[in-house]
Amino acid sequence: MFLPITLVLYWAIGYKRIKAQNALLLVASYLFYGLWDWRFLFLIVASSLVDYIAALAIKGSEEKIKKKLYLYGSILWNLGVLFLFKYFNFFIDEFSLLFNLKDGEYAFTTLNIILPVGLSFYTFQTMSYTIDVYKSRIPPTRNLLNFLCFVSFFPQLVAGPIEKAADLLPQFNTRRKFNAQEVKEGLRQILWGLFKKMVIADNAARIVNMVYASHEEYGSFSLLYASVLFFFQIYGDFSGYSDIAIGTAKLFGFRLNKNFNLPYLAKSVTDFWQRWHITLTRWFTDYVYFPIIQKNLRSGTRRNIAVFITMGLIGLWHGADWTFVVFGAFQGFLIILERTPISQNRKSSLYHRSRIPSLLFPVFSFIFITISCILFRSQNIEEAGIILKRIFLLIPSSEWSSLISKTFLVCAAILLSVEISTRTKNFPLTRIDLYISRPFRWVIYYIFILLIFRYAGPTEDFIYFQF
Amino acid sequence: MPVPRRILFISNFSGSQLRFLKYCLLFFTPVVVAFVIMELLVLNLPINYKYYGQQLNSHSQEIELMGLGSSQMKCAFNPDFADVDAINLSSTSQHHKEDFHILKGTRKRLPNLKFLLLEVSFNHLELPHHPDDYWKNSVYLKYYDVNAFNRSIWFKDRLLILSNNRFYSRKLLEHYFFNSSTEKFNSYGFDTNNFYGTFKELDYDTSKINTNNFRIISREDLSIFKKNTDFLYEMLEYAKAENINVILCTLPLYKTYLKKRNPSVVRRRDSVLQMVQKQYSNVILLNRETDTIHFNEKDFLNENHLNPNGAKKFTALLNQKINGFD
Repeated sequence: MFLPITLVLYWAIGYKRIKAQNALLLVASYLFYGLWDWRFLFLIVASSLVDYIAALAIKGSEEKIKKKLYLYGSILWNLGVLFLFKYFNFFIDEFSLLFNLKDGEYAFTTLNIILPVGLSFYTFQTMSYTIDVYKSRIPPTRNLLNFLCFVSFFPQLVAGPIEKAADLLPQFNTRRKFNAQEVKEGLRQILWGLFKKMVIADNAARIVNMVYASHEEYGSFSLLYASVLFFFQIYGDFSGYSDIAIGTAKLFGFRLNKNFNLPYLAKSVTDFWQRWHITLTRWFTDYVYFPIIQKNLRSGTRRNIAVFITMGLIGLWHGADWTFVVFGAFQGFLIILERTPISQNRKSSLYHRSRIPSLLFPVFSFIFITISCILFRSQNIEEAGIILKRIFLLIPSSEWSSLISKTFLVCAAILLSVEISTRTKNFPLTRIDLYISRPFRWVIYYIFILLIFRYAGPTEDFIYFQF
Repeated sequence: MPVPRRILFISNFSGSQLRFLKYCLLFFTPVVVAFVIMELLVLNLPINYKYYGQQLNSHSQEIELMGLGSSQMKCAFNPDFADVDAINLSSTSQHHKEDFHILKGTRKRLPNLKFLLLEVSFNHLELPHHPDDYWKNSVYLKYYDVNAFNRSIWFKDRLLILSNNRFYSRKLLEHYFFNSSTEKFNSYGFDTNNFYGTFKELDYDTSKINTNNFRIISREDLSIFKKNTDFLYEMLEYAKAENINVILCTLPLYKTYLKKRNPSVVRRRDSVLQMVQKQYSNVILLNRETDTIHFNEKDFLNENHLNPNGAKKFTALLNQKINGFD
């Protein structure tokens, strides 16, 4: 009921009262976030205030050294919070293990704290704001209400898309006029997102969880099948959430950036990361990759190092575990491999312009995505190793047939065929009113509602909420 | 004097907004109506929980024995054959966490409760508990009036259809459209027609049964083991404080299943059972997991569940235990 009530109140205020609308959005966003744990609210408010003040201080300073000081202060705060809540225990554990300090007089103690929902998302959003102000890409805002709204905007607060201040912040300053067409688009996108999450992701999760919980008991093909299903799970889960977030923002008259573009059609790892979690890739490209290579664009070694660092950090962003570090390093290694010329022809590279037949691209994508999924889903690096080993040992999978769910396969086929056939559009149901009459449109909507109702899998939390 | 415009007012809505609201109402009304109808149909379904709830309400003053556990216990204990007034509130995937909620939530209504039959299957102590938003919590709330959510109740918690739409829509189709359900419940909610499992499909042919594939969860997890064991002790302390005798039971398993059990998991579970029996005077064991003398393939629904014939035998063994209780 939260969304309909907020929406009706929002438009009842009237589009001319921007401040009142923004205040309502802020209250709704904090309420939404506080429902997880009200203590997290202090952190989000503190993070917002630090960056708000830092940006104003940067603008107000004449000396470059002072500007830098404020910038580093803000970054230190953001990364410090992230480190404390997300990575501290991981590093302490690994450090203790390395120097054999697990027990005894010099043993380190880990913190008993929980990771605030969506911390990685809003921290990156606020950090990009301060950096952009420092680089004079955008002016700082003096409007605290709008800035707090920008950081905590509830549709994308807990799992993105990660919006840059230049894209989202100005939208809080301008009037949002009610546009029935846009609102309908938003509802359609929410419907499509719910289908992906509840039917595809949650049904895939049922099988994946079962197999990964007792991976020692399953044969090669079952493990391979579960790993492929995990791709469907995480794709349905995260892109479904992104669709719901973008659709919800549209209901309030906001536009958020696209976060997924049919990643399973990627022709290379580079291409994959331009289609998967696009806003995160863009963030790391702008704030990590480019600053590293900025003065040495032509240096291949420097570029490769930049790629490796960027992808390693993207891996680490996902979580404090070696599986994510290896996941990131694996992506970095493959991208470097793709960029390495295989002949004297400088334009040639392994996959972008290679002689490898295009028919092999899906095979490459399949292998790369599956290995990535195994790394991503495994609880630890040992488990990933065991699963990979069992897959390559070709252990018979007599239990495989019990993992097949016809419903899931039919729904996955619907997802793929619909998405691929409408790949030039933002999402499959977009502007459906241009070519389908209302009665038929409604029939389509009701069919999707029925599919969601009848075939929704057991409720699973959104995977990316934990990041 | 001009009247100040109110901040929130229906007249603030423009014509296009009102048209859109009408459009939404028109679209969503059939969806809401369909939900309401389905909820009513679900409430009308003959389902074991409903019988459990009725039994709980109508015989609360007489009930002396309560069975709690998972589907294995649900299939193994038929209160109809019990020598004392009994109820079996076991259900599929029910773990100790739910068992404890049910025990605590119904205790005041059952003044004569003397015995608790509690299942501890071979992997019970190494399977994680369900989260607080487990879908069956709505079922417990509806039929047993037990709040297992660990929080105050929300409106949606009371709607069965929303708790597990997939399960209930399948049940609705089976009952109202295809008439394909084979379930026949007695007044205790026990399915007396529960023969249609793998073993019947295999004609109880032991050569086929011996080669049949089945799923067994034999994963070890010491952290879960510790947590679940502590939880079991907590339950036993509660039972002791409430003067309830506890019959910890392990249920018959077919020999192919017995062979596939993880010996470490079994050893840990057995050591806990032995310890508990020594520590608590109100606890006895009914260990029938490896009983291949009383139970043969004709008593099983599948590798780890009894059919009603097996349930009759198991309940008779339970009667002996209760009658011999000091």
